[in-house]
Amino acid sequence: MHEYKKSFSITVRVNGNEYKDRVPSHMTLLQFLKERLHFLGTKEGCSIGECGACTVIMDGKAVTSCLVLAVEADGSSIRTIEGEAKNGELTPLQKAFIEHGAVQCGFCTPGMIMSAQNLLDRNPHPSREDIVEAISGNLCRCTGYEQIIQAVQSVANGATKQNNLVGVKSVGGGGDTEGGQPGGKVSEHNSKSKTGGTL
Amino acid sequence: MGSFQFYKPKGVEDLLKMKAELGERGLILAGGSNLLVYIRNGIINEGTFLDVKNLKPLKGIDTSNGKITIGAGETIREILESAKLREKIPFFPDSMKEFANPLIRSKATIGGNAADASPAADTAPPLLVLDTETVIGSHRGERVIPIKEFFKGPKKTALKPDEVLLRFQFSVPEAGKGVFLKFGLRNGTAVSVTSLAAWLALDGGKAVDIRIALGGVAPTPVRAINAESALKGQKLNEESILTLSEEVEKDLRPISDVRGSTEYRKDLTVELLRRALRKLSGTEAAL
Repeated sequence: MHEYKKSFSITVRVNGNEYKDRVPSHMTLLQFLKERLHFLGTKEGCSIGECGACTVIMDGKAVTSCLVLAVEADGSSIRTIEGEAKNGELTPLQKAFIEHGAVQCGFCTPGMIMSAQNLLDRNPHPSREDIVEAISGNLCRCTGYEQIIQAVQSVANGATKQNNLVGVKSVGGGGDTEGGQPGGKVSEHNSKSKTGGTL
Repeated sequence: MGSFQFYKPKGVEDLLKMKAELGERGLILAGGSNLLVYIRNGIINEGTFLDVKNLKPLKGIDTSNGKITIGAGETIREILESAKLREKIPFFPDSMKEFANPLIRSKATIGGNAADASPAADTAPPLLVLDTETVIGSHRGERVIPIKEFFKGPKKTALKPDEVLLRFQFSVPEAGKGVFLKFGLRNGTAVSVTSLAAWLALDGGKAVDIRIALGGVAPTPVRAINAESALKGQKLNEESILTLSEEVEKDLRPISDVRGSTEYRKDLTVELLRRALRKLSGTEAAL
Protein backbone atom coordinates (compact mmCIF):
# COMPACT_ATOMS: atom_id res chain seq x y z
CA MET A 1 0.00 0.00 0.00
CA HIS A 2 1.33 3.38 -1.00
CA GLU A 3 1.48 6.21 1.40
CA TYR A 4 -0.50 9.16 0.08
CA LYS A 5 0.47 12.52 1.36
CA LYS A 6 -2.08 14.95 2.74
CA SER A 7 0.17 17.97 2.57
CA PHE A 8 3.00 18.98 0.33
CA SER A 9 6.00 21.24 0.33
CA ILE A 10 5.87 23.45 -2.71
CA THR A 11 8.09 26.06 -4.27
CA VAL A 12 6.39 28.64 -6.44
CA ARG A 13 7.79 31.73 -8.13
CA VAL A 14 5.40 34.65 -7.88
CA ASN A 15 6.26 37.84 -9.74
CA GLY A 16 9.90 36.77 -9.83
CA ASN A 17 10.26 35.90 -6.14
CA GLU A 18 10.49 32.37 -4.81
CA TYR A 19 8.11 31.19 -2.09
CA LYS A 20 8.27 27.89 -0.22
CA ASP A 21 5.39 26.59 1.86
CA ARG A 22 3.61 23.48 2.99
CA VAL A 23 0.04 23.25 1.70
CA PRO A 24 -2.86 20.80 2.06
CA SER A 25 -3.62 18.74 -1.07
CA HIS A 26 -6.91 20.45 -1.80
CA MET A 27 -5.76 24.07 -1.37
CA THR A 28 -6.24 26.03 -4.58
CA LEU A 29 -3.61 28.30 -6.08
CA LEU A 30 -6.05 31.17 -5.47
CA GLN A 31 -6.23 30.37 -1.75
CA PHE A 32 -2.46 29.96 -1.62
CA LEU A 33 -1.86 33.36 -3.22
CA LYS A 34 -4.35 35.20 -1.05
CA GLU A 35 -4.26 33.40 2.29
CA ARG A 36 -0.64 32.31 2.51
CA LEU A 37 1.24 34.88 0.45
CA HIS A 38 -1.23 37.75 0.98
CA PHE A 39 -1.37 38.76 -2.66
CA LEU A 40 -4.82 40.26 -2.30
CA GLY A 41 -5.03 41.84 -5.75
CA THR A 42 -6.22 38.60 -7.34
CA LYS A 43 -9.96 38.40 -6.68
CA GLU A 44 -12.18 35.50 -5.75
CA GLY A 45 -15.46 35.65 -7.65
CA CYS A 46 -17.38 32.47 -8.39
CA SER A 47 -14.65 29.95 -7.41
CA ILE A 48 -15.80 27.61 -10.17
CA GLY A 49 -14.06 28.96 -13.24
CA GLU A 50 -16.99 30.94 -14.61
CA CYS A 51 -16.07 34.56 -13.93
CA GLY A 52 -12.31 34.96 -14.45
CA ALA A 53 -11.82 37.32 -11.46
CA CYS A 54 -9.00 35.08 -10.18
CA THR A 55 -7.06 35.00 -13.47
CA VAL A 56 -3.28 34.80 -13.13
CA ILE A 57 -0.59 33.91 -15.66
CA MET A 58 0.92 30.52 -14.93
CA ASP A 59 4.00 29.56 -16.94
CA GLY A 60 2.96 31.96 -19.67
CA LYS A 61 -0.70 30.94 -19.85
CA ALA A 62 -3.63 32.81 -18.34
CA VAL A 63 -5.62 30.48 -16.09
CA THR A 64 -8.32 30.76 -13.44
CA SER A 65 -6.40 30.19 -10.21
CA CYS A 66 -9.52 28.79 -8.49
CA LEU A 67 -9.21 25.73 -10.75
CA VAL A 68 -5.54 25.07 -10.06
CA LEU A 69 -4.36 23.24 -6.96
CA ALA A 70 -1.46 24.83 -5.11
CA VAL A 71 0.40 21.50 -5.35
CA GLU A 72 -0.02 21.60 -9.13
CA ALA A 73 1.71 24.97 -9.15
CA ASP A 74 4.82 23.47 -7.52
CA GLY A 75 7.81 24.53 -9.62
CA SER A 76 5.83 26.96 -11.73
CA SER A 77 6.10 30.67 -12.37
CA ILE A 78 3.08 32.82 -11.56
CA ARG A 79 2.34 36.41 -12.52
CA THR A 80 -0.29 38.28 -10.54
CA ILE A 81 -1.56 41.83 -10.84
CA GLU A 82 0.90 42.95 -8.14
CA GLY A 83 3.81 42.12 -10.42
CA GLU A 84 2.67 44.28 -13.33
CA ALA A 85 3.62 47.78 -12.24
CA LYS A 86 7.39 48.23 -11.88
CA ASN A 87 8.80 50.75 -9.39
CA GLY A 88 5.42 52.36 -8.99
CA GLU A 89 5.04 52.86 -12.74
CA LEU A 90 1.86 51.31 -14.12
CA THR A 91 2.14 49.30 -17.34
CA PRO A 92 0.83 50.80 -20.59
CA LEU A 93 -2.17 48.46 -20.31
CA GLN A 94 -2.95 49.55 -16.75
CA LYS A 95 -2.68 53.20 -17.78
CA ALA A 96 -4.95 52.55 -20.75
CA PHE A 97 -7.57 50.99 -18.48
CA ILE A 98 -7.67 54.18 -16.43
CA GLU A 99 -7.68 56.47 -19.45
CA HIS A 100 -10.49 54.60 -21.14
CA GLY A 101 -12.78 54.29 -18.13
CA ALA A 102 -12.31 50.52 -18.31
CA VAL A 103 -12.36 50.36 -14.51
CA GLN A 104 -15.56 50.95 -12.62
CA CYS A 105 -16.13 48.82 -9.53
CA GLY A 106 -12.73 47.27 -10.19
CA PHE A 107 -13.48 43.72 -9.12
CA CYS A 108 -12.88 42.17 -12.53
CA THR A 109 -9.92 44.43 -13.30
CA PRO A 110 -6.97 42.36 -12.01
CA GLY A 111 -8.20 39.27 -13.87
CA MET A 112 -9.13 41.27 -16.94
CA ILE A 113 -5.67 42.84 -17.08
CA MET A 114 -3.94 39.47 -16.71
CA SER A 115 -5.99 37.99 -19.58
CA ALA A 116 -5.42 41.03 -21.79
CA GLN A 117 -1.71 41.27 -20.93
CA ASN A 118 -1.29 37.57 -21.72
CA LEU A 119 -2.80 38.24 -25.14
CA LEU A 120 -0.53 41.25 -25.76
CA ASP A 121 2.54 39.25 -24.70
CA ARG A 122 1.76 36.61 -27.32
CA ASN A 123 0.35 38.93 -29.95
CA PRO A 124 1.33 42.61 -29.64
CA HIS A 125 -1.10 43.66 -32.38
CA PRO A 126 -4.32 41.74 -31.85
CA SER A 127 -7.49 42.44 -33.82
CA ARG A 128 -10.67 43.46 -32.06
CA GLU A 129 -11.88 39.84 -32.44
CA ASP A 130 -8.68 38.57 -30.80
CA ILE A 131 -9.27 40.90 -27.86
CA VAL A 132 -12.91 39.92 -27.43
CA GLU A 133 -11.89 36.26 -27.56
CA ALA A 134 -9.04 36.73 -25.08
CA ILE A 135 -11.27 38.31 -22.43
CA SER A 136 -14.27 36.04 -23.07
CA GLY A 137 -13.59 34.16 -19.83
CA ASN A 138 -13.62 37.35 -17.77
CA LEU A 139 -16.96 38.74 -16.68
CA CYS A 140 -17.43 42.48 -16.16
CA ARG A 141 -20.80 43.66 -14.89
CA CYS A 142 -20.08 47.40 -15.05
CA THR A 143 -18.47 48.56 -18.25
CA GLY A 144 -20.28 46.60 -20.92
CA TYR A 145 -16.78 45.62 -22.12
CA GLU A 146 -16.50 48.34 -24.75
CA GLN A 147 -14.13 50.53 -22.72
CA ILE A 148 -12.03 47.49 -21.86
CA ILE A 149 -11.74 46.51 -25.51
CA GLN A 150 -10.80 50.09 -26.41
CA ALA A 151 -8.17 50.14 -23.69
CA VAL A 152 -6.51 46.98 -25.00
CA GLN A 153 -6.80 48.22 -28.57
CA SER A 154 -5.10 51.49 -27.69
CA VAL A 155 -2.08 49.60 -26.34
CA ALA A 156 -2.05 47.34 -29.40
CA ASN A 157 -2.09 50.40 -31.64
CA GLY A 158 0.65 52.04 -29.60
CA ALA A 159 -1.51 55.12 -29.00
CA THR A 160 0.07 57.56 -26.60
CA LYS A 161 -1.36 58.36 -23.24
CA GLN A 162 -2.06 62.04 -23.82
CA ASN A 163 -3.68 61.56 -27.18
CA ASN A 164 -6.13 59.12 -25.77
CA LEU A 165 -6.94 60.97 -22.63
CA VAL A 166 -8.91 63.66 -24.41
CA GLY A 167 -10.59 61.58 -27.06
CA VAL A 168 -11.62 58.69 -24.93
CA LYS A 169 -13.32 60.43 -22.06
CA SER A 170 -15.96 61.77 -24.37
CA VAL A 171 -16.56 58.31 -25.79
CA GLY A 172 -16.39 55.92 -22.91
CA GLY A 173 -15.78 57.79 -19.70
CA GLY A 174 -18.93 59.90 -19.62
CA GLY A 175 -19.19 59.54 -15.89
CA ASP A 176 -16.08 61.55 -15.26
CA THR A 177 -16.46 64.47 -17.61
CA GLU A 178 -20.17 65.00 -17.60
CA GLY A 179 -20.63 64.54 -13.90
CA GLY A 180 -23.30 61.94 -14.49
CA GLN A 181 -21.97 59.62 -11.83
CA PRO A 182 -20.73 60.09 -8.33
CA GLY A 183 -17.03 59.82 -7.97
CA GLY A 184 -15.76 62.46 -10.32
CA LYS A 185 -12.06 63.02 -9.87
CA VAL A 186 -11.81 60.55 -7.07
CA SER A 187 -12.49 57.75 -9.52
CA GLU A 188 -9.14 58.17 -11.20
CA HIS A 189 -7.36 57.72 -7.90
CA ASN A 190 -9.50 54.65 -7.23
CA SER A 191 -8.77 53.30 -10.68
CA LYS A 192 -5.05 53.41 -10.02
CA SER A 193 -5.40 51.30 -6.92
CA LYS A 194 -7.72 48.92 -8.65
CA THR A 195 -5.59 48.41 -11.73
CA GLY A 196 -2.58 47.91 -9.50
CA GLY A 197 -4.36 45.42 -7.29
CA THR A 198 -3.76 47.40 -4.12
CA LEU A 199 -7.38 47.73 -3.02
CA MET B 1 -13.86 20.42 3.10
CA GLY B 2 -13.25 16.71 3.22
CA SER B 3 -10.11 14.70 3.26
CA PHE B 4 -7.88 14.65 0.20
CA GLN B 5 -4.51 13.21 -0.67
CA PHE B 6 -2.34 13.85 -3.67
CA TYR B 7 -0.22 11.51 -5.74
CA LYS B 8 1.70 12.00 -8.96
CA PRO B 9 1.96 8.66 -10.80
CA LYS B 10 5.37 7.97 -12.34
CA GLY B 11 3.97 6.37 -15.46
CA VAL B 12 0.87 4.68 -16.88
CA GLU B 13 1.61 1.42 -15.09
CA ASP B 14 1.89 3.24 -11.80
CA LEU B 15 -1.31 5.17 -12.54
CA LEU B 16 -3.28 2.01 -13.36
CA LYS B 17 -1.95 0.27 -10.26
CA MET B 18 -3.08 3.20 -8.13
CA LYS B 19 -6.47 3.29 -9.84
CA ALA B 20 -6.89 -0.44 -9.20
CA GLU B 21 -6.07 0.11 -5.56
CA LEU B 22 -8.23 3.21 -5.07
CA GLY B 23 -11.17 2.64 -7.43
CA GLU B 24 -13.67 5.51 -7.24
CA ARG B 25 -11.55 7.21 -4.59
CA GLY B 26 -8.80 7.70 -7.17
CA LEU B 27 -9.62 11.12 -8.63
CA ILE B 28 -7.99 11.64 -12.01
CA LEU B 29 -6.66 15.19 -11.99
CA ALA B 30 -5.95 16.39 -15.52
CA GLY B 31 -7.17 19.94 -16.14
CA GLY B 32 -9.15 19.99 -12.91
CA SER B 33 -11.79 22.27 -14.41
CA ASN B 34 -14.59 19.87 -13.49
CA LEU B 35 -13.01 18.07 -10.54
CA LEU B 36 -12.24 21.20 -8.54
CA VAL B 37 -15.78 22.47 -9.11
CA TYR B 38 -17.24 19.19 -7.79
CA ILE B 39 -15.06 19.52 -4.71
CA ARG B 40 -15.99 23.14 -4.22
CA ASN B 41 -19.68 22.23 -4.50
CA GLY B 42 -19.36 19.31 -2.09
CA ILE B 43 -20.22 16.65 -4.68
CA ILE B 44 -16.84 15.01 -4.04
CA ASN B 45 -15.49 15.33 -0.53
CA GLU B 46 -12.76 12.75 -0.23
CA GLY B 47 -10.24 10.88 -2.32
CA THR B 48 -6.77 10.88 -3.72
CA PHE B 49 -5.84 13.14 -6.60
CA LEU B 50 -3.95 11.19 -9.23
CA ASP B 51 -2.21 14.00 -11.09
CA VAL B 52 -1.87 12.89 -14.71
CA LYS B 53 -1.25 16.36 -16.12
CA ASN B 54 2.26 15.78 -17.32
CA LEU B 55 2.05 12.05 -17.79
CA LYS B 56 3.70 11.55 -21.19
CA PRO B 57 1.73 8.49 -22.38
CA LEU B 58 -1.53 10.45 -22.00
CA LYS B 59 -0.19 13.29 -24.12
CA GLY B 60 0.55 13.61 -27.78
CA ILE B 61 -1.15 13.93 -31.15
CA ASP B 62 -0.12 11.43 -33.81
CA THR B 63 -1.32 11.73 -37.40
CA SER B 64 0.91 9.18 -39.09
CA ASN B 65 -0.34 5.88 -40.60
CA GLY B 66 -3.60 7.40 -41.81
CA LYS B 67 -5.04 7.35 -38.34
CA ILE B 68 -5.33 10.19 -35.83
CA THR B 69 -4.47 9.45 -32.23
CA ILE B 70 -5.01 12.04 -29.52
CA GLY B 71 -3.89 11.49 -25.93
CA ALA B 72 -6.65 11.91 -23.35
CA GLY B 73 -4.44 14.41 -21.51
CA GLU B 74 -4.15 16.83 -24.44
CA THR B 75 -5.60 20.19 -23.50
CA ILE B 76 -8.30 21.77 -25.63
CA ARG B 77 -5.83 24.55 -26.40
CA GLU B 78 -3.19 22.09 -27.62
CA ILE B 79 -5.74 20.54 -29.97
CA LEU B 80 -6.94 23.92 -31.17
CA GLU B 81 -3.36 24.99 -31.91
CA SER B 82 -2.14 21.69 -33.37
CA ALA B 83 -0.72 22.28 -36.86
CA LYS B 84 -0.64 18.52 -37.49
CA LEU B 85 -4.37 18.17 -36.82
CA ARG B 86 -5.18 21.31 -38.79
CA GLU B 87 -3.39 19.88 -41.81
CA LYS B 88 -5.20 16.53 -41.71
CA ILE B 89 -8.66 17.53 -40.48
CA PRO B 90 -9.22 21.25 -39.78
CA PHE B 91 -12.78 20.50 -38.67
CA PHE B 92 -11.53 18.95 -35.44
CA PRO B 93 -9.34 21.78 -34.08
CA ASP B 94 -11.86 24.32 -35.40
CA SER B 95 -14.63 22.74 -33.36
CA MET B 96 -12.59 23.41 -30.20
CA LYS B 97 -12.99 27.15 -30.74
CA GLU B 98 -16.44 26.84 -29.22
CA PHE B 99 -15.12 25.26 -26.03
CA ALA B 100 -15.58 27.50 -22.95
CA ASN B 101 -12.96 30.28 -23.08
CA PRO B 102 -9.17 30.66 -23.36
CA LEU B 103 -8.68 30.41 -19.58
CA ILE B 104 -10.39 27.03 -19.38
CA ARG B 105 -9.03 25.78 -22.71
CA SER B 106 -5.47 26.08 -21.40
CA LYS B 107 -6.26 23.57 -18.66
CA ALA B 108 -9.24 21.39 -19.64
CA THR B 109 -8.40 18.17 -21.46
CA ILE B 110 -10.28 16.28 -24.13
CA GLY B 111 -10.23 13.14 -22.00
CA GLY B 112 -11.57 15.00 -19.00
CA ASN B 113 -14.38 16.53 -21.01
CA ALA B 114 -15.42 13.13 -22.41
CA ALA B 115 -15.04 11.24 -19.12
CA ASP B 116 -17.14 13.85 -17.33
CA ALA B 117 -19.94 12.69 -19.67
CA SER B 118 -22.05 15.80 -19.58
CA PRO B 119 -24.88 15.39 -22.14
CA ALA B 120 -23.73 18.78 -23.44
CA ALA B 121 -19.98 18.04 -23.51
CA ASP B 122 -18.55 20.10 -26.35
CA THR B 123 -15.94 17.60 -27.48
CA ALA B 124 -18.56 14.85 -27.81
CA PRO B 125 -20.38 15.74 -31.07
CA PRO B 126 -17.13 16.17 -33.05
CA LEU B 127 -15.79 12.88 -31.63
CA LEU B 128 -19.08 11.15 -32.47
CA VAL B 129 -19.22 12.23 -36.12
CA LEU B 130 -15.71 10.90 -36.65
CA ASP B 131 -16.66 7.45 -35.28
CA THR B 132 -13.91 7.84 -32.72
CA GLU B 133 -12.69 4.89 -30.71
CA THR B 134 -11.72 5.30 -27.07
CA VAL B 135 -8.77 3.37 -25.69
CA ILE B 136 -9.29 2.48 -22.05
CA GLY B 137 -6.63 1.12 -19.75
CA SER B 138 -6.58 -0.76 -16.48
CA HIS B 139 -4.15 -3.07 -14.68
CA ARG B 140 -5.91 -5.85 -16.62
CA GLY B 141 -4.87 -4.40 -19.96
CA GLU B 142 -6.30 -2.15 -22.68
CA ARG B 143 -9.66 -2.28 -24.40
CA VAL B 144 -11.09 -0.27 -27.27
CA ILE B 145 -14.72 0.82 -27.49
CA PRO B 146 -16.56 3.16 -29.88
CA ILE B 147 -17.27 6.58 -28.41
CA LYS B 148 -21.04 6.05 -28.76
CA GLU B 149 -20.79 3.14 -26.34
CA PHE B 150 -18.58 5.17 -24.03
CA PHE B 151 -21.37 7.54 -23.02
CA LYS B 152 -23.91 5.71 -20.83
CA GLY B 153 -26.00 8.51 -19.34
CA PRO B 154 -25.68 11.91 -17.70
CA LYS B 155 -22.28 11.78 -15.94
CA LYS B 156 -22.05 8.04 -16.63
CA THR B 157 -19.48 6.36 -18.84
CA ALA B 158 -18.38 2.83 -19.67
CA LEU B 159 -15.34 3.34 -17.44
CA LYS B 160 -15.12 0.88 -14.56
CA PRO B 161 -13.78 2.15 -11.22
CA ASP B 162 -10.30 0.79 -11.96
CA GLU B 163 -10.15 2.10 -15.53
CA VAL B 164 -8.65 5.24 -17.05
CA LEU B 165 -9.35 6.80 -20.44
CA LEU B 166 -6.00 6.83 -22.25
CA ARG B 167 -6.52 8.11 -25.79
CA PHE B 168 -8.83 8.60 -28.76
CA GLN B 169 -8.32 7.34 -32.29
CA PHE B 170 -10.18 7.93 -35.52
CA SER B 171 -9.66 7.85 -39.26
CA VAL B 172 -10.01 10.94 -41.40
CA PRO B 173 -13.04 10.40 -43.67
CA GLU B 174 -12.10 9.93 -47.33
CA ALA B 175 -14.03 12.97 -48.51
CA GLY B 176 -16.07 15.85 -47.22
CA LYS B 177 -15.86 18.42 -44.49
CA GLY B 178 -17.31 19.07 -41.08
CA VAL B 179 -18.70 21.82 -38.94
CA PHE B 180 -19.52 22.24 -35.25
CA LEU B 181 -22.21 24.68 -34.16
CA LYS B 182 -23.03 25.50 -30.59
CA PHE B 183 -25.81 27.51 -29.10
CA GLY B 184 -25.13 28.70 -25.56
CA LEU B 185 -26.58 31.47 -23.44
CA ARG B 186 -23.30 33.36 -23.28
CA ASN B 187 -20.41 33.51 -25.73
CA GLY B 188 -17.66 32.56 -23.29
CA THR B 189 -17.91 29.68 -20.85
CA ALA B 190 -21.55 28.80 -21.50
CA VAL B 191 -22.79 25.24 -21.23
CA SER B 192 -24.37 24.36 -24.55
CA VAL B 193 -28.13 24.51 -24.74
CA THR B 194 -27.81 22.54 -27.93
CA SER B 195 -24.79 21.71 -30.03
CA LEU B 196 -24.41 19.95 -33.35
CA ALA B 197 -21.55 18.52 -35.34
CA ALA B 198 -22.03 17.44 -38.94
CA TRP B 199 -19.85 15.86 -41.58
CA LEU B 200 -20.90 15.96 -45.23
CA ALA B 201 -19.43 14.61 -48.45
CA LEU B 202 -21.26 15.48 -51.65
CA ASP B 203 -21.15 13.68 -54.97
CA GLY B 204 -23.03 15.35 -57.81
CA GLY B 205 -24.88 17.49 -55.25
CA LYS B 206 -26.03 14.40 -53.36
CA ALA B 207 -25.12 13.62 -49.76
CA VAL B 208 -23.04 10.45 -50.02
CA ASP B 209 -21.58 10.66 -46.53
CA ILE B 210 -23.68 12.44 -43.94
CA ARG B 211 -23.05 12.20 -40.22
CA ILE B 212 -24.73 14.25 -37.53
CA ALA B 213 -24.14 14.30 -33.78
CA LEU B 214 -25.95 16.28 -31.12
CA GLY B 215 -25.17 17.56 -27.66
CA GLY B 216 -27.56 18.70 -24.93
CA VAL B 217 -30.71 17.10 -26.35
CA ALA B 218 -30.66 13.58 -24.85
CA PRO B 219 -29.24 11.88 -21.73
CA THR B 220 -25.97 11.42 -23.62
CA PRO B 221 -24.46 13.08 -26.68
CA VAL B 222 -25.95 11.13 -29.62
CA ARG B 223 -25.70 10.45 -33.33
CA ALA B 224 -28.82 11.64 -35.17
CA ILE B 225 -29.47 8.41 -37.03
CA ASN B 226 -32.96 9.36 -38.25
CA ALA B 227 -31.77 12.62 -39.75
CA GLU B 228 -28.75 10.88 -41.25
CA SER B 229 -30.85 8.26 -43.05
CA ALA B 230 -33.36 10.86 -44.25
CA LEU B 231 -30.57 12.94 -45.77
CA LYS B 232 -28.38 10.17 -47.16
CA GLY B 233 -28.43 10.09 -50.98
CA GLN B 234 -30.55 13.23 -51.19
CA LYS B 235 -29.74 16.23 -53.32
CA LEU B 236 -29.10 19.15 -51.02
CA ASN B 237 -30.68 22.48 -51.84
CA GLU B 238 -32.52 25.05 -49.76
CA GLU B 239 -35.83 23.23 -50.14
CA SER B 240 -34.56 19.79 -49.15
CA ILE B 241 -32.50 21.24 -46.31
CA LEU B 242 -35.57 23.04 -44.93
CA THR B 243 -37.82 19.97 -44.91
CA LEU B 244 -35.40 17.11 -44.27
CA SER B 245 -33.79 18.86 -41.31
CA GLU B 246 -37.07 18.41 -39.43
CA GLU B 247 -36.34 14.68 -39.31
CA VAL B 248 -33.81 15.40 -36.60
CA GLU B 249 -36.68 15.84 -34.11
CA LYS B 250 -36.99 12.03 -34.07
CA ASP B 251 -33.47 11.82 -32.71
CA LEU B 252 -34.13 14.05 -29.74
CA ARG B 253 -35.05 13.27 -26.18
CA PRO B 254 -34.47 16.74 -24.79
CA ILE B 255 -35.02 17.84 -21.23
CA SER B 256 -36.46 21.12 -20.00
CA ASP B 257 -34.06 22.90 -17.73
CA VAL B 258 -32.76 26.28 -16.73
CA ARG B 259 -31.13 26.71 -20.14
CA GLY B 260 -34.15 26.00 -22.26
CA SER B 261 -37.43 24.12 -22.64
CA THR B 262 -37.92 20.91 -24.60
CA GLU B 263 -39.71 22.75 -27.39
CA TYR B 264 -37.02 25.40 -27.57
CA ARG B 265 -34.30 22.75 -27.86
CA LYS B 266 -36.21 20.99 -30.66
CA ASP B 267 -36.60 24.14 -32.72
CA LEU B 268 -33.02 25.09 -32.05
CA THR B 269 -31.64 21.74 -33.16
CA VAL B 270 -33.59 21.80 -36.42
CA GLU B 271 -32.27 25.29 -37.10
CA LEU B 272 -28.69 24.33 -36.22
CA LEU B 273 -28.90 21.40 -38.62
CA ARG B 274 -30.18 23.65 -41.41
CA ARG B 275 -27.33 26.07 -40.83
CA ALA B 276 -24.77 23.27 -40.77
CA LEU B 277 -26.09 21.75 -44.00
CA ARG B 278 -26.18 25.11 -45.78
CA LYS B 279 -22.64 25.77 -44.72
CA LEU B 280 -21.32 22.35 -45.73
CA SER B 281 -23.21 22.17 -49.02
CA GLY B 282 -22.18 25.69 -50.02
CA THR B 283 -25.78 26.85 -50.41
CA GLU B 284 -25.40 29.38 -47.63
CA ALA B 285 -24.38 32.19 -49.97
CA ALA B 286 -27.60 31.86 -51.97
CA LEU B 287 -29.70 32.97 -49.02
